[in-house]
Amino acid sequence: MLNVTGDLPGDSWGIFTFLCAALCNLPALPALNCSEELGAGQSIQQTYDLTRYLEHQLRTLAGTYLNYLGPPFNEPDFNPPRLARAERVPSATVDLDLWRGLTDNARLAANYRAYSRLLCYLRVLDGQVGTAELRHRLAHFCASLQGLVLSIGGVMSSLGYPLPAGPAGPPAGPPGAPPAPNDFLKKMDDFWLLKELQTWLWRSAKDFNRLKKKVPPAVVTLRLEARGF
Amino acid sequence: MPPPPPLPMLPLLLLLCPRLARADPLACEYREHRAALASPAADPAVISPQDPTLLIGSSLVATCTVSPDFPLKAEDLYWTLNGRRLPAASYAALGPSTLSVALARLNGSRQQSGDNLVCHSRDGGILAGSCLYVGLPPEKPVNITCWSKNMKDLTCKWAPGTEGETFLHTNYTLKYKLRWYGRDNTCQEYHTAGPYSCRIPKDLALFTPYEIWVEASNRLGVAVSDVVMLDILNVVTTDPPSDVHVSRVGDLEDQLSVRWSSPPALKDFLFQAKYQIQYRVEDSSEWKVVDDVGNQTSCRLAGLRPGTVYFVQVRCNPFGIYGSKKAGIWSDWSNPTAASTPRSERGAGGCDPKGGEQNTTLRRELKQFFGWVKKHAYGCSNLGIKLYDQWRVWLQKSHKTRNQVLPGDKL
Repeated sequence: MLNVTGDLPGDSWGIFTFLCAALCNLPALPALNCSEELGAGQSIQQTYDLTRYLEHQLRTLAGTYLNYLGPPFNEPDFNPPRLARAERVPSATVDLDLWRGLTDNARLAANYRAYSRLLCYLRVLDGQVGTAELRHRLAHFCASLQGLVLSIGGVMSSLGYPLPAGPAGPPAGPPGAPPAPNDFLKKMDDFWLLKELQTWLWRSAKDFNRLKKKVPPAVVTLRLEARGF
Repeated sequence: MPPPPPLPMLPLLLLLCPRLARADPLACEYREHRAALASPAADPAVISPQDPTLLIGSSLVATCTVSPDFPLKAEDLYWTLNGRRLPAASYAALGPSTLSVALARLNGSRQQSGDNLVCHSRDGGILAGSCLYVGLPPEKPVNITCWSKNMKDLTCKWAPGTEGETFLHTNYTLKYKLRWYGRDNTCQEYHTAGPYSCRIPKDLALFTPYEIWVEASNRLGVAVSDVVMLDILNVVTTDPPSDVHVSRVGDLEDQLSVRWSSPPALKDFLFQAKYQIQYRVEDSSEWKVVDDVGNQTSCRLAGLRPGTVYFVQVRCNPFGIYGSKKAGIWSDWSNPTAASTPRSERGAGGCDPKGGEQNTTLRRELKQFFGWVKKHAYGCSNLGIKLYDQWRVWLQKSHKTRNQVLPGDKL
């Protein structure tokens, strides 16, 4: 379970033994739990399941929402230009080699940041949308998406990674320009938001699949070494 | 569909991280990205008018002007409305890079988010768009009806004044105030009983009339309904009676006895309940209503047909609340309860063919048989004389015990 590398002076050995005993007798310490590796693996599986569930939910939500926007937005081959303003929505598209080479921390952080922002934008949508049915569906989806963000946060914590800084708190700057200068551009923004959500959910399933295979018990022990024990 | 993952941890996590539950919409940007928003790239083209609001039947001329940064000319452009290409005959070039389109006698918007009028380049690319909101100003909402369930809340519903206002998103606000008290209140819980309804859940005042009205507003105007005045005590309704039992009256072929309990919710209030019973024969859609039931909790139905299955429902009216002489509002009907009258002794199950009378009995039996087959035989391939014999046996057996209610029979 615990690997010791290098030489430890005598007095440190005593301290080390004491700490070892303390660790094994205090399962309440969340970050240093002996069954840590099981927790992370389970969390990753749950997060993966959640992305698949959200993907399914999104299909219904997007269908309803695009019908509300009206043609051509709900046409299957609709492919509008991605104007510069649409880059506010984080893109899931990434170079394959870059994606393969991501560290676990970077992979999880990218997911965490993306969904935090997507959730934020979806909540703004919720406040503006017309029909009661849509508002109901959006609220339900936002709740599930928030669960995903928290789930990813949980995986990161259990693996010892710091959470990325969240979206800025109460607005520091001036209220600024409205999100979209006209209603049509707003419809385009909404379209791209849903599109990116979809792409992210596809990508996340692959991200978490990859993580599932990569989280052995060794990950935890390596960390404890890094902490100087 | 993948089964949803176990989510008991979600509420716990939400409790632990309350801050995430209230994201500020203006704060969706990360600080480091704010600078990038300061100078957006120019849009390829501009449409005028942008997002206009129009009356049904009006005409519109819209122009699409390509930005000087783009090498497109008027003849490279075309228009679509809600995804359908507009005829070139309605276009006119107003300048080297400006194309207009004339739309006449517009219909109401196809969706409340606005009709999508889009200016395209020749290869189909979208240059700009404008949302057209076409409809009618609202008219006074009408037919405001309200009811109070067990005096605990007040729900009102209304109808829009005209169909034309449904093309636009029309906001309805139900307002109320107590007569002789100045303050207007606004109802908050909408769509509780259909799309045009609202519920006032608490703090209802008795003995003082309410003034209630509905305001409708959309992009084209505002309209206020007439004021309705009502006293909560006059619009009270309650739950349907519970425990409705229908049973035979000994061997009497033409009678059934109905018993029920008064709805429990109003037992704390002084009122006399009035009841109404309706019943119909199994294969008819015509209900007979028994009106003079009064406030008893039982009734005997007479003059019924022997050997027939009847469906019975009961409903309740909280009459005379707190001594008022007025009726309240009838509750919903209870779930239908079924029972059958005893078969008449003459020709009961007789096998002798005796003309017309026997034919009707046989027809009725066969009809019931096929119904039974559909339920139990899963397909016509199993139809046969053996099945028919099985059914006769079952009928004999159940006939002996068939003097009680058949609960769970739904219409």
